[in-house]
Amino acid sequence: MIRARHGLLLIAPLALVLAGFFLAPVLMLLPTSFREYVPAAGFRPGYWTLENYLRIITDDFYREVIWRTLSLGLLVTLACLVLGYPVAYVIARGPPRWRMMLTLLVIFPMLLNLVVRSFGWIVLLANRGLVNNLLLQLGVLSAPVKLLFNLTGVMIGLTHIYLPFMVLMLVAAIRNVPRDVEAAAATLGSSRLHVFVAVTLPLSAPGILAGSILVFVLTISALVTPRMLGGPTYQVMATVIYDEYMQLLDWARGSALAFALTLMTVGIIALSSALTRRWAGMS
Amino acid sequence: MSAAADAAARAGLGVSIAAWAVVVFLQLPVIVVVLAAFSTTSYLTIPPQGVTLAWFAKVLSDPQYLSAIRMSLLLALGSTAISLLIGVPAAYAIHRRLVPGAQALTSLLMAPLIMPSVVIGVALLQYFSLTGIRGTLLGLLFAHVVITVPYVVRATLASLAGLELTMEEAARVLGATGFETFRLITLPLIAPGLAAGALFAFITSLDNVPVTIFLISASQTTLPVLIFSSVEMGVDPSVAAVSTLLIAVTGILLLIAERRAGLHRFV
Repeated sequence: MIRARHGLLLIAPLALVLAGFFLAPVLMLLPTSFREYVPAAGFRPGYWTLENYLRIITDDFYREVIWRTLSLGLLVTLACLVLGYPVAYVIARGPPRWRMMLTLLVIFPMLLNLVVRSFGWIVLLANRGLVNNLLLQLGVLSAPVKLLFNLTGVMIGLTHIYLPFMVLMLVAAIRNVPRDVEAAAATLGSSRLHVFVAVTLPLSAPGILAGSILVFVLTISALVTPRMLGGPTYQVMATVIYDEYMQLLDWARGSALAFALTLMTVGIIALSSALTRRWAGMS
Repeated sequence: MSAAADAAARAGLGVSIAAWAVVVFLQLPVIVVVLAAFSTTSYLTIPPQGVTLAWFAKVLSDPQYLSAIRMSLLLALGSTAISLLIGVPAAYAIHRRLVPGAQALTSLLMAPLIMPSVVIGVALLQYFSLTGIRGTLLGLLFAHVVITVPYVVRATLASLAGLELTMEEAARVLGATGFETFRLITLPLIAPGLAAGALFAFITSLDNVPVTIFLISASQTTLPVLIFSSVEMGVDPSVAAVSTLLIAVTGILLLIAERRAGLHRFV
């Protein structure tokens, strides 16, 4: 009895803060998504509709934005996997001296402000930016290439931001691959490449999945980098939500899109944990 | 065989080169921001046109930047402190099974990490407008607690999981009360993990734009939000200067964490 009361006392402050500043706000947003916003007048009184959700599925603009968000998520995840695996491999299996240096160089940009990093990419990728300047001066280009406010810019920026997360997940996964299994395969005559493809890669698959899900979910919910590197024209779901709220003041449509985004992230996470459980059950 | 050749042979030369190339890619925007901050031209050129400290002087005498820096530090310190105060006891209660449904509770406490930040931002915007606390410091502070507290809870749970119960049992046998045992035995043992969690919480708060941008008032803004909106207006080298200051602070924090706790072993 006393134990239970102590437990409740210990957890109550946090529970109250989360109930008051997280659960209640999110639940109260739900009815808003079924309202209709009349410009300059507010919500139409006593009127409830599914229009905001139907629009997401039927309207061409929204469909394009959702398609773009999801493909961006996929592309960034793939890029992070391809770029991240060698780094993670060297950190996990390379010499200890390199391990500390590489880990710190991976963590450092991760701790750095998101806005600062995106700003760095603007300096690099703008029409008068460093990359274009350099290529023009070297005579490789005769006119600047557009690297910002399109897929290229947003993809580079997002890959840069989420790559460290992927590396850290992969390091943990590769470390979990027993070295004696690799050694056994090598002893039995496998080449180093074959050991990697037949042993290391499949055994690190759960980590690859976990890292990919994390990067994908973070990418599709990102607001700051797509806004800074994509500008007001190259829109993704999060930036459209931002515009609906801050520019168009249409909270009804904005909240429907917000729930659609939430549903996508929660759905993907649930799907992946079901998959992981099945894998665990098989082995 | 030299150490470097040995190293290369072990990791595979191609893989090592790829790994170092990717790590250079990761530092690229950091390097150009620092260079741009010292450059006399508003756009960075190769070779640089000249070196100046004028942008730093401009930032450090600009009341708007100074007030944003103050606001950011206040929020980050405040939300980290509150997160520790309410997060550590809650994690302790969950770990010791003092409350029923520990598994479900943990998922609930981690929910703010799964929810897209922009959704938390708009939900709080509506909620604060309805309850009349929109634009207040208190509202913003608790919004930051919501996004930082999962890191503290996670770090505390991880530290407690690695703890042997025998020390605490010994203290209890010798007559210490529950709270004394926690303060004198448990807390010092989990302190390094808590410090890591607190550092993460602090940086998360200092970094945040997607929640903050919906909740700030016109007069009170945070540093990242100010940089974000300055860039939307057009690029100005003073943005590079203030960014360089942030880079320096982050780098120093990272080095301290590495020296004191061997940070790279925790990840």
